[in-house]
Amino acid sequence: MSAAEHILISDSTLRDGNHAVNHQLGREQLRAYATAADAAGVPVLEVGHGNGLGASSLQVGIAALGDREMLETVRACLTRARLGVFILPGWGTTRELLLAIDCGADLVRVGAHCTEADLTERQFGFLRERGVEAHGCLLMSHMASPARLAEECARMEGYGAQAVGIMDSAGNYLPDDVTERIAAIRAAVSVPVLFHGHNNLSMAVANSVAAARAGARILDACARGFGAGAGNTQLEVLVPVLERLGWRTGIDLYPLLDAADLAERELIREVPAIGSVSIVSGLAGVFSGFRAKVAAIAARERVDPRDIFFELGRRQAVAGQEDLIVDVALELRAAAGAAAG
Amino acid sequence: MTPPERAAVADSPRHGRLKVALLGAGYIGTDLLIKIRRSPWLNCTVVAGRNLAGDGLRQARAMGFAVTDGGIDALVNDRRDHYQLVFDATNALAHQTHWDLLRPLGKRVIDLTPSRAGFMVVPTVNGEDAPAHPNVNLISCGGQASIPILHALSRHFRGIRYIELVTTASSPSVGRATRLNLDEYVQTTESAIQAFTGVAQVKSLVNISPAQPPANFRVALSLLVDGVDPAAVTAVVTRAAAVVRSYAPGYRLCACTVLGGDRVFVTVEVQGRGDLLPTYAGNLDIINDAAVTVAEQHARARAALAIPAREMA
Repeated sequence: MSAAEHILISDSTLRDGNHAVNHQLGREQLRAYATAADAAGVPVLEVGHGNGLGASSLQVGIAALGDREMLETVRACLTRARLGVFILPGWGTTRELLLAIDCGADLVRVGAHCTEADLTERQFGFLRERGVEAHGCLLMSHMASPARLAEECARMEGYGAQAVGIMDSAGNYLPDDVTERIAAIRAAVSVPVLFHGHNNLSMAVANSVAAARAGARILDACARGFGAGAGNTQLEVLVPVLERLGWRTGIDLYPLLDAADLAERELIREVPAIGSVSIVSGLAGVFSGFRAKVAAIAARERVDPRDIFFELGRRQAVAGQEDLIVDVALELRAAAGAAAG
Repeated sequence: MTPPERAAVADSPRHGRLKVALLGAGYIGTDLLIKIRRSPWLNCTVVAGRNLAGDGLRQARAMGFAVTDGGIDALVNDRRDHYQLVFDATNALAHQTHWDLLRPLGKRVIDLTPSRAGFMVVPTVNGEDAPAHPNVNLISCGGQASIPILHALSRHFRGIRYIELVTTASSPSVGRATRLNLDEYVQTTESAIQAFTGVAQVKSLVNISPAQPPANFRVALSLLVDGVDPAAVTAVVTRAAAVVRSYAPGYRLCACTVLGGDRVFVTVEVQGRGDLLPTYAGNLDIINDAAVTVAEQHARARAALAIPAREMA
């Protein structure tokens, strides 16, 4: 590693954090955190419904605010930071991309599940034509091999992605898993590589450091780890850890800690902790965002939420397939009834 | 219960089968070809694609069909009236061009792309209206799987405020054209649901599942409905599903619940016949079974007209 190499921190507190409060972040909360993070020198703030542009729905939760309202509110608070949005083709369309560009989005993160990068081709083309910076990321990446992830990332680079990488959507990775995958991707592309961690197995910061050591130059994190279930990589821990290891982030420590305190006070209902069910969802490799829904349906159908998570893992459910939870719960209940009868 | 097979050979045509052309040899086109071959009413005289070395045209040729890599031009330049009807299994953007070229030739078109150009048809809902329209659009696989139930619910319950459809197809069952047409897929499916139900607030979402082995094609429907009786919902949904099974035997209701007094939640899985791809690819079957049903309806209507004409002669 050369001395004082830069790592770009993308703060997803106001996007992925929304999962933890059923997408109910309000205008004042967005304003307060965006102002604090901007003051701390956080370079990118990702904002929106947890599942991205256009995703507000009964399937994953109706957001308190519309996409336009969220983006315009945060845009007005930023003096230095760039405004980021997330979009998953199939959930958001070019209609929503136009809206985001109109609201002043600087950076678009286009996502696709691990093996489905070709779903992003159209949206990258659209963004390239409009000169908007766009990064590609693979969700639920633990479901594919390092070689396959590298191939899919190279495909997105070919479509025009200016950075590519992976999300550990289920919080399933251990540091060696990350090292292997980031190294494979690095060898396959020439654009910067990104990593997004979750903390189900208490590995989010360690995994992010492993990613940086393997050459990732964009890391996602959230204040207090604000995110579904066990939460995300904790921003105000990751930044000083990276600095101590010799990387530069351009973020000031005290204002960053102040922003995190503000997030805990103003945004967060329950500071993320690694609960028993979150450990199971991480082991099972299921998207953390399923947690609240699984808990509610498990209680209603009187089945063990851990059994639901393991069964969802066996079926390889991906984020967005929340409708499977009811089917799985009904089948588990029927099976339990049959065993008892 | 063993679902009934589609229209048996018993009522096969007496005046020669309807000559059809297939445009596009991706997953949908190639699977459709296998279904056309089984139909007693349809005779595919040419398969027009782009690449003779590609999987689609190679399989079509192996099945004994005449193939061309000339695409739409080959169909337009056909001077020997080889076909009366074209199945367009290309992509939404290309369809408008194809229709502009085929319309002046007096050809009928059944469009399997989410183009929104033609008259939208769901066989169990408005199939009988299809023969009156020269360009019939089949919306999308998600539309074909959901609209029979949504239409039935909208007829029975007046207070539907919102409809949401989540379609999940397995990765190996989704070809390149569909992947590039995802935006059209979403928007056309939403328009179709609005048109068939009269409900203005509609959302359509699509998942492509990377699971291995692949999972069955499925749709999940969530509705917000005022004044809903759970028993009536189950009865309406079960009846609608049974009607779809008359031409798509793998159509199966998985869950049907009413939560909180106003939220209806229904999930459906569709198993295919395992023609081109294994049975998980019910997305191919639900739209292709609809395409064959609509084309056969036209062939029947034409045969019915032809009989009195001959008797008079």
